[in-house]
Amino acid sequence: MGAAIKSEFLKFFTTRLWWGMAIGIFVAGALFAGFFGWAFTSEEAMASGATGIQGSDTQIVNSVYTAGLSVGYLLLLTVGILQIGAEYRHKTISSTLLSTPRRVQAMGAKIVALLGIGAAYGLVSLLGSVSVGAIVLSLRDIDPFPSGSVVRTLALSLLALGLWALIGLGVGILIPNQVAAILVGVGVAWIVEPLLGLGLSFVDALKGVVPYFPSQATNAMVDGVTQNGPDAAQPLSWWAAALVLTAYAAALSAFGTWRTVRQDIS
Amino acid sequence: MSTAATPQGAPIEVRDLTKTFGSFTAVDRLSFTVEPGRITGFLGPNGAGKTTTLRMLLGLVHATSGTATIDGRDYRDLDHPQSMVGSALEATNFHPGRSGRDHLRVLAAAGGLPMSRVDELLELTGIPAAARKRAGEYSMGMRQRLGLAAALLGDPRVLILDEPSNGLDPEGIRWLRGFLRHLSSQGKTILVSSHLLQEVEQTVDDVVIIANGRLVRSGPMAQLRGAPSTIVRTSDADQLAGALRVADVTSTPGRDGELVAETTDMRLVGDVALRAGLPIWELRPRRADLEALYFELTEGTNRNLGAGATPVEADAVSGQEGANE
Repeated sequence: MGAAIKSEFLKFFTTRLWWGMAIGIFVAGALFAGFFGWAFTSEEAMASGATGIQGSDTQIVNSVYTAGLSVGYLLLLTVGILQIGAEYRHKTISSTLLSTPRRVQAMGAKIVALLGIGAAYGLVSLLGSVSVGAIVLSLRDIDPFPSGSVVRTLALSLLALGLWALIGLGVGILIPNQVAAILVGVGVAWIVEPLLGLGLSFVDALKGVVPYFPSQATNAMVDGVTQNGPDAAQPLSWWAAALVLTAYAAALSAFGTWRTVRQDIS
Repeated sequence: MSTAATPQGAPIEVRDLTKTFGSFTAVDRLSFTVEPGRITGFLGPNGAGKTTTLRMLLGLVHATSGTATIDGRDYRDLDHPQSMVGSALEATNFHPGRSGRDHLRVLAAAGGLPMSRVDELLELTGIPAAARKRAGEYSMGMRQRLGLAAALLGDPRVLILDEPSNGLDPEGIRWLRGFLRHLSSQGKTILVSSHLLQEVEQTVDDVVIIANGRLVRSGPMAQLRGAPSTIVRTSDADQLAGALRVADVTSTPGRDGELVAETTDMRLVGDVALRAGLPIWELRPRRADLEALYFELTEGTNRNLGAGATPVEADAVSGQEGANE
């Protein structure tokens, strides 16, 4: 299993994708932290209520540091899709399963490697967001580390990225054409799901499910400020949100493993 | 790796192997054995089920029924698959953005093999210069060599190659032939698939020929060729046949007044003719027309072509091969 995991890491770091992604995720972290650090702490926002932003100092700081997460998880979703999609596309899945013929093990190695890759990119993202965010917050005379729970948020953002990579793994197996998988995966996570969430939040009978959507759960995990109106459903607590996102990742990667075990590779 | 320490090859056993895709039977109760220390050609027209059989043997495709084992075990139950079986399935099995060397590193890592093997194999297969180029820029021949390098990473006891000479130039084919010969002399089991008998004729010791997923012939190449014989033409074939019979040589009439003598001793045939006072117009060894035999075994039954098209194509191709000789 250790050998197969090492092989998965090598696969990822021997194509050019990884540093392009690293730059993207660093820049996203830095830019979003800078922008939201400025926006959340502007006088209008601090006056509260007007823009609907509600949250404690800790939540504001959390939001600033994890502002790039919305881009980050889309990138990790893509990484997860590509880790299996590229294997189908270039038929390297045969070599992979020839060197690791026990398929549960081969998929387990992918899962472990993707969690690691997610966490590594999370660190890159935080490097950008915490440095820029802390500077902006300090300039606004806000304590950049108001409480210990900020550390929890930062750690959970690493987990969130790893989990999104596993969601990508499942999507990549569900839709074997990697281009289609990326379009559908990113389209759903970025556009369809938020719109659906918005739409459902106006339906009293259904608005209770909205916090369980993956992107809603991701935001709740990092415990940031909320921007919803007073009658919107309350976001999940951070630990419940973490469990919900873990459930999505577990379900999709378990499905992917099951499919791969049964598949004929030809 | 001294020759003494190198483990001998292991046998491949295929028993009643069957694969159906819906109502289509790709491989139909196929049974054959591949022996260590020999090169076995796995032959059949395109679409005969060769690749499906190899993929079942390698645990990539699930068999509908029957077994395919290597050293008595399913591929998926091997503890160190790369050290038991090396395989090269398709020359397109590379991520175009990854260098050849990195491709081998990925595989070596998965098998827990030392990274030093990577450079050894690049050297051995003659592509060290291309090692750091992206595989997308490789020629077909370089891909084949990289595939072979990948197959040999774990110094396997069994080597399974699917159409390894596809895309190789004549020099490459010659190199491959010598290379496989060398590996089989180490006692390794080598199974090489091809859709052309002619391509592997000089390489293989044994053949397994399939058509439409069924076995049509298997055994040593020599057996397929049949007993060697001599063709002689003279003024009176019957008289020569009688004279040969006296010398304990059986003969049968061939085409155009030819006589086919079941011996390789052309000198004896010449001496017998001289004593019988018969002129020799032609005297030559007869080589079995393997190409014709191969098409005979596999023709007319190709499920992938229209019914009428096959024999015509077979004739045309075999005629062409004859002209080349």
